[in-house]
Amino acid sequence: MRPIEGSFSLREAAMSDTTVRGGRGTASTYLLVPILLFFILLIVAVLRSDSLVTSAGLGSAIIVVTPLVLATYALMVLVIAGRGTVDLSIGPLIGFINVTLIQLYDQQMLQSPVVFFLYALAVGVAYQLLVGLIIVFVRVQPIIVALSGYLALSGVNLVIMQRPGGIAPDWMQSWGLGISILSPVTAILILATVAWLLFTQTAFYGHLRLMGSDERAAFTSGVRINIVRLGAHAIAGLFAGLAALTYTSLISSGDPTQGTTYTLIAVTALVLGGASLAGGRGGVMGSLLGAVNIYLITYVLATFNFGAVQSFVTDLAYGSILVLSLLLTVVLPHIGRVVHSLSPLLFFVVLSLIGLGVIVHSNYDYAGSGDESAALGASTGIMVLGAESASEPEPPAPQAPDADADGMPTPREPAPAFVFERVGPGAADTTTAQSFMAPSLVAPLAIAGLLVLSTLIILRTTVAQAGGTKSLAPLVYIVVAGLVLLGIYAVARPGGLDGFNDVTAAQTSAATASEAQ
Amino acid sequence: MSSAASARALKWVGLAVAFVVAGLGLIFGFWQGLPAQEVILYTAATFALVAWAWRSYTTRGEVSAGAASEGPAGGGEEGESRRSMWRGFVAKNKWILAGLLALLLIFGICSITVDGFFSVLNIISLAVLIGLLVFSSFMSKFVVENRSAFIGLTVLVGLFVIGSLKVEGFIYAGNIKSMLLFASFLGLACVGQTMVAMLGGLDLSIPFVIGSANVGLLYIMGLGVPGWLAVIIIIVLGVLIGLLNGILSFRLQGQALILTLGVGFAVSGLTQILTSLGSRFAGNVFGSVPGWLSNLAAMNGTTFGLDVPPVILIWLVVAVFLIVGMKHTVYGRYLYALGGNRVSAARISISERRYWTGAYGISGGVSALTGALLLGWSGGGFIGVGQPYLFMTLAAVVIGGTSLLGGHGGYGFTVIGVLVLQVLTSFLVGIGLDYQWQQFIFGLLILPMVALYARSPHIRTQV
Repeated sequence: MRPIEGSFSLREAAMSDTTVRGGRGTASTYLLVPILLFFILLIVAVLRSDSLVTSAGLGSAIIVVTPLVLATYALMVLVIAGRGTVDLSIGPLIGFINVTLIQLYDQQMLQSPVVFFLYALAVGVAYQLLVGLIIVFVRVQPIIVALSGYLALSGVNLVIMQRPGGIAPDWMQSWGLGISILSPVTAILILATVAWLLFTQTAFYGHLRLMGSDERAAFTSGVRINIVRLGAHAIAGLFAGLAALTYTSLISSGDPTQGTTYTLIAVTALVLGGASLAGGRGGVMGSLLGAVNIYLITYVLATFNFGAVQSFVTDLAYGSILVLSLLLTVVLPHIGRVVHSLSPLLFFVVLSLIGLGVIVHSNYDYAGSGDESAALGASTGIMVLGAESASEPEPPAPQAPDADADGMPTPREPAPAFVFERVGPGAADTTTAQSFMAPSLVAPLAIAGLLVLSTLIILRTTVAQAGGTKSLAPLVYIVVAGLVLLGIYAVARPGGLDGFNDVTAAQTSAATASEAQ
Repeated sequence: MSSAASARALKWVGLAVAFVVAGLGLIFGFWQGLPAQEVILYTAATFALVAWAWRSYTTRGEVSAGAASEGPAGGGEEGESRRSMWRGFVAKNKWILAGLLALLLIFGICSITVDGFFSVLNIISLAVLIGLLVFSSFMSKFVVENRSAFIGLTVLVGLFVIGSLKVEGFIYAGNIKSMLLFASFLGLACVGQTMVAMLGGLDLSIPFVIGSANVGLLYIMGLGVPGWLAVIIIIVLGVLIGLLNGILSFRLQGQALILTLGVGFAVSGLTQILTSLGSRFAGNVFGSVPGWLSNLAAMNGTTFGLDVPPVILIWLVVAVFLIVGMKHTVYGRYLYALGGNRVSAARISISERRYWTGAYGISGGVSALTGALLLGWSGGGFIGVGQPYLFMTLAAVVIGGTSLLGGHGGYGFTVIGVLVLQVLTSFLVGIGLDYQWQQFIFGLLILPMVALYARSPHIRTQV
């Protein structure tokens, strides 16, 4: 394995997994869909609201998304194990660990953090091992066992705790604040991801994948499939325990019903990440992206104001995006046949350049602009949002979704104040409106596009000269690492960058690095 | 030979006599207006006594003759063989015996810890339970085909007996009617799930289609469309959604679960957006349900003057139609063929695409019908009305014994599964357990029942 693994951040860690599991090319082309979706959503989110790319914004995003990511990991392990194992009981299991933790803590047990942690992990592993034993020895279809567990656990949760309540331990209270990127929750997420990546280096993982794609072949080639299956369940239990811990820190209390909803969301995230529920396909990168995509969908939709039908629009968007991304995985093999050497890695780098350009632009380009334009932008935003509000008696504007791209300053007088008040909860604040100044968006976008194009050409020529992918991989790592470091720097020190100067410097340095090769 | 035949005939006659006597007792007991528990108790006792007496008087000669022929073998050896037989019996049935012991243990613990648990009724319930378990486990060796139906029916009978013993008013007309009413909603919702499961797919969009149909029907009728037309429109829309499910998931059969879920989310969101356009109260649709629709599904509905809600009749017709249709029509047989083996079905030119999309289309249509009927039952539109059916349809199909891998099962099995779930619900409500305990018990019930008849073979037999 390359030495860079696990030393920087999640992004590289996940990236290296891609290369492990088949490098570029057809083996992981399914990752193209989640990557594309991720960046589209990210760019829209950044344009719609500039509270996302701040220390607090990212911090709260991580807090919210981590339980989902970990639950998705748990599902991923079992999906890789094959036999159509979709663990529907993951949500109730998270809820079960949550309510038992809180109830036991309230009764003066589990006071020590270590015991608290161990209990959560042990319950997760014990439950999953039980399920695994039933699947292996009673030989009932996994989905039936999962269904049974779903019903039983969601019943038990309500027995243990009738209504939400209880208080998480004091040392856990601060975890859920989400004011900084570096929190214990982030550490758990990174540790879990890195641990999985290390696990993929073992022979056990090879056996697991072999069993998942063809159980009979695994059996006849001497893999002890029972042990492997039980191991997969134990790992899934660990992830479930971690998910329950982060979930507990997120809500800082016990909730018997909310955990149950994680089942459907996590399955959705898993599929959005390109995994196949039929087995044999799935990875940590895809699961991570899928879960983040779910969060971003909700986030982006929250910045639009649909009034009373907000949750329905979210449902609609979930469903359509899910179906579309599934259909895209059907189309992908055909695309892959036409476009050779389409590397998800390269794709990721290109898109992250675009994304970073947009982020830097939206964060720093308008920081110094005058009050007048800001006010104009604000009123524009209000008008656009007011027009979008579906709860208005007048028919809603059909162009609502792309209003942020080309919404013109309307000549009408500003909308009444009550529209302004309904602009949005949290995310869509007055500051949101500043990012609406459509005409001035064009130039930075064009610059970003040019940058991307040039980088793409340089990288492409490098590939052509090298004649192979192996020499490309380190370069890509360097570029990505540089970008991420730059991003962290930019987030940590607002105002530390002047426009695009530093970015272009980074680009040129990357370009020279690639040319040097 | 003839004596053996006559002995067998004698035995059956004895059973018949016992049955008739017990039946007479039952009828007279109810006629006299005795409490149901007593009647059932006495009936069971009469039946057992008559059968035992008949057997002991008619077959005594045979038994003694057999004993006489074995006479010279000697007492010690006989005891030895009996002991080894006993040991073999224990070894063969160790799981059943362990289960029985566990049951007794649980009963003992409950008797000690729960006040008033140790009563005559509970002991009788326990005896009935154990008797049924022993009966079904021994009989299931002889029932090779349709074992799941046999076990399901046994559980159903057991639940019924215990329920009528334990719960006041369990087997009175009102309660049975309400059980059948809810069972028919669940049963209709399960039609699509069964059809789809026969092909190895899953349809999780059912609850969303039910909810959408529920809200959408009220909305359409609110626009001034006549009721019958609105129902037809809703059903057609449901079929269209089902067809969409089928077409989209055809190339993604392994992922049908998640794809239908996605379609379900989208449909439910879209319906709510459409119905709340121009409404001040988003998500709620107000309107009045026409009388014929509420008569169709409400508890006090009448069918041709009979005091039975028509929805039960609808379910009955649908069930008979499906059971007969799947057994005797070309469509039904091809459905089994496709579920059993895709390749061989393709060899005899069965269009997989057509059947797959067709099954989903039926599922969507029947779900929409269920939603419409539920509107008649509740009298108000509510998008979440289908939510309990998300996993309950799956549970009913699985308990009934339709294989989720396809090719085995049928709607008849699902009917049994639905009835088991419904009677169990009614029983659990009757003894005062909350919703969460019901769910817990459902969850725990599925596993052993499926383990009795749907175990997959060991991997080493599949190589």
